[in-house]
Amino acid sequence: MRRVTILWFLVAACLGVALFLVKYEVQDREEKLAALHREILANQEAVHVLEAEWSYLNRPSNLEAMVRRHLDLVPLDTTRLGRIEQLPIRLPSFEEAGTMTAGIREAAAATDDLPAFAPPAPLPRPITISAKVRR
Amino acid sequence: MTDFPQIQAGKSVRLEGVTKQALEIGRNRLILAGCLLTLAFTAVAGRVVELSALRDHNEPTVPTAAADAALQTGRADIVDRNGLLVATSLRTPSLYADPSEVLDPARAARRLTTVLTDLAVPEVEAKLRANRRFVWLKRSLTPHEQYRVNALGIPGLHFMDEWKRIYPQSSLMAHVVGFTDIDDRGISGVERSFDDVLRDGREPLHLSIDLRIQHIVRQELAHQISLFEAIGGTGIVLDVDTGETVAMVSLPDFDPNMAAEMSDDQRFNRATLGVYEMGSTFKIFNTAMALDAGTVTLRDGYDASKPIKIARFTINDFHGENRWLSVAEIFKYSSNIGSVKMAMDVGTERQKEFMGRMGMLQPMSLELPERGYPLVPSPWRPINTMTISFGHGLSVSPMHLAAGVATVVNGGIKRPTTLLKTTGRVLGEEVLKPSTSEVMRKLMRLVVMDGTGRNADAEGYLVGGKTGTAEKAGGGRGYARKSLLSSFVAAFPVNDPKYVILIMVDEPKGQKFSHGYATGGWVAAPAVKRIVERAAPLLGVAPVDMDAPEIRRDLLVDLPDAGGKRLASF
Repeated sequence: MRRVTILWFLVAACLGVALFLVKYEVQDREEKLAALHREILANQEAVHVLEAEWSYLNRPSNLEAMVRRHLDLVPLDTTRLGRIEQLPIRLPSFEEAGTMTAGIREAAAATDDLPAFAPPAPLPRPITISAKVRR
Repeated sequence: MTDFPQIQAGKSVRLEGVTKQALEIGRNRLILAGCLLTLAFTAVAGRVVELSALRDHNEPTVPTAAADAALQTGRADIVDRNGLLVATSLRTPSLYADPSEVLDPARAARRLTTVLTDLAVPEVEAKLRANRRFVWLKRSLTPHEQYRVNALGIPGLHFMDEWKRIYPQSSLMAHVVGFTDIDDRGISGVERSFDDVLRDGREPLHLSIDLRIQHIVRQELAHQISLFEAIGGTGIVLDVDTGETVAMVSLPDFDPNMAAEMSDDQRFNRATLGVYEMGSTFKIFNTAMALDAGTVTLRDGYDASKPIKIARFTINDFHGENRWLSVAEIFKYSSNIGSVKMAMDVGTERQKEFMGRMGMLQPMSLELPERGYPLVPSPWRPINTMTISFGHGLSVSPMHLAAGVATVVNGGIKRPTTLLKTTGRVLGEEVLKPSTSEVMRKLMRLVVMDGTGRNADAEGYLVGGKTGTAEKAGGGRGYARKSLLSSFVAAFPVNDPKYVILIMVDEPKGQKFSHGYATGGWVAAPAVKRIVERAAPLLGVAPVDMDAPEIRRDLLVDLPDAGGKRLASF
C-alpha cells in the first residue's frame, strides 16, 4: 500500500514537471514561429521592392541606352537570320576527319593564306516554304 | 463500555443493535458517494471519447500555425505578356499629424518645410492649428524624407504605411494601364476597367501587350513625330488571329507615376478615344466591300479621267492618272474617283450594312474605359456613300481601323480586340468571304511593291498595306488643307498575315527631305518598315526570300490593262 502511493506520487510529480517543460517549450517555439513569419513577410516585401526595381532598371529604353554605351550590338537584320535547313551538312567528327584536318593544315602551311579551320559557308539564298492555306 | 465483546483475531464478530445500525448507514453513504463519483467520471470519460474520437475523427484540434505568411499588397500587379512588371504596389510611409499633440505649430511648420521643401509654411501651419485629431501632411514619402522628418523630432507627427501604386515602365504603357488616384482607385485605362479584379486579386493580371514591341513602336512613332514636327500620333500592333493588342501607343503620353502633372492632351488616348476621318486607308474596306458584294472583280475597272462633281464638291485624285483604271490600280494609286464609282455600284444600303458588319458603327470591344463613339452620318445619303468610299464622312478610332484591317486580312473573321493575354483559339464571326480576304492581301502587297507605300517595304517580311492622308476637318465647315492625318496600315507577312500595324501621325508638316510632302507614304510608312524589321524577330516571324517562286505565285495579281489585254504583275 505504501509503495503504490509513493509510486503514484512520483508519477504525478514527473508529469507535472514534464507538463511545465512542454508548456514553456511550446511558448518558445510559438514565439520563434511568429518571428519567422514576420521575417518571411519582411523578406517578401523586400523581394517585392526589388522586383519593382528590377523591372524599372529593365525598361526597354534603359536597356537600349546601356547596350549602346557598352556593347557593339546592332539590330538584327534579315541577312543574319536563317533556318535549320540552311545549315550545311555536319562535318565529320574530329577522329573521323583526322586525315582531312591534317590535309587542311598542310594546305594552309603550304599556301599560307588558307585558314587552319574554314567555316562552312551558308547557302546563298534562304529556303522558303509556300504559304499554307488559311483556315 | 465493558459490554463490548472482546475482538479476537480469526474470529468473526457479530454486531448487534446500535452499532450495527451505524455501520449500515456508513456503508450506504459510501455506496451512494461511489455511485455519484462513478457517474461523474463516466460523464467525463464520455466527453473525452466524444471530443477525441467522434467529433473530428482524430486528435483534438492542436493549435495550428497560422497559414504560411503571404504578402498582401492591397492591389494585384499588372504584368505584360512575358510577365514583366507594368504596375505594382509598394509600401510607402505617409506623414500625418495629431494637431493636439503639436506644441508650437508655427515653429513645427517652419522646421518641417526645411525638410519637405515642396510644402508651404502657411498651409502646414494652418493644418497644425486645426481643431482635429488627424491631418495628412504628405502622402508617400521617400525613405530619405522619412529619415529626415524623424530626425527633426517634432512631437505630434506620425507615419502611417500606405500602399502606393508604382509604374516601373513610367510612360511606356501610360494609356494602356492608366493610373490610380491617391486612395488606390483605378481612374483610367486597365486600372479602371479591371478595378474590382485588381483590388480583390492576388494573382497578377496578364496583359496582351509585349513591352519590347511597345517600346519599338513608341520609339519609331516619336521619331517620325519629331521629324515631321507633328503634334501627336498613335501606333497599334494587333495579332490578327487572336485579336490581342501587342502594342498600343498614343503620343504625347504621360508618366502615370506623376499623373497629377499631366495635361489633357497628354491624357487623351488617340488610339481608342480619338475618332478621325481616316482617309484612304478606308479604301481597304471599300474595295473589300465591292469584291465581297460581287459588284466588281479584279478584271473590272472604272474611268478615272474626270473629276466627280456633286452638289458644291469636286472629288479629285491626289495621284491623278487621268485614265481608265482597273480595280487593282484604283487601290494601288489610291484613286478617289475610282473608289467613289466602286461604292456607288454597291449602293448606300449595302455600304451601311457592310460598315456595321465590320464594327465601324459601334464603339470598340476593348477593355478600356476610353473608347470613342464613331461619328456616323445620319441620314446616310449617297453623298456620304461617296465620301466614305475614300475615308471621309465616317469617323472611327484608329483601333477600329486596325481591327477592321485584321478582319480583312485574316480570312474575313471578325474577332473582338482585347488587352488581355489569351490562350488557345479565339472564335470569331465570318464577315467576309475567304476569297475576298486573299485578294485584298495581294492588293495590299501591290501598294507596297509599286504603289504609294513603297517606303514600308521591309526586306524579307512581305509587308502589305495602304497609305492614308486625310485632311482634318477644320474649325468650321470644310477641311483644313494644311492639317493632315497621315497614316499607314499594314499586315505582315502578307501571304499569311500574323500582325497588323497601324501608324498614324497627327498634323505632320512637309519637310525638305520629303520634298514638302507629309503624306502617309512619307510619314508613316517608313516607321512601319522599321517597326517590322525590329519587331519581326521578336514576334517569331521568319524572313522569306521574296523572289522565291512560291511567294511570287502566292502574291500574283491578275491585272487587265486598259486595252483589255491581261498582263501579270506582282
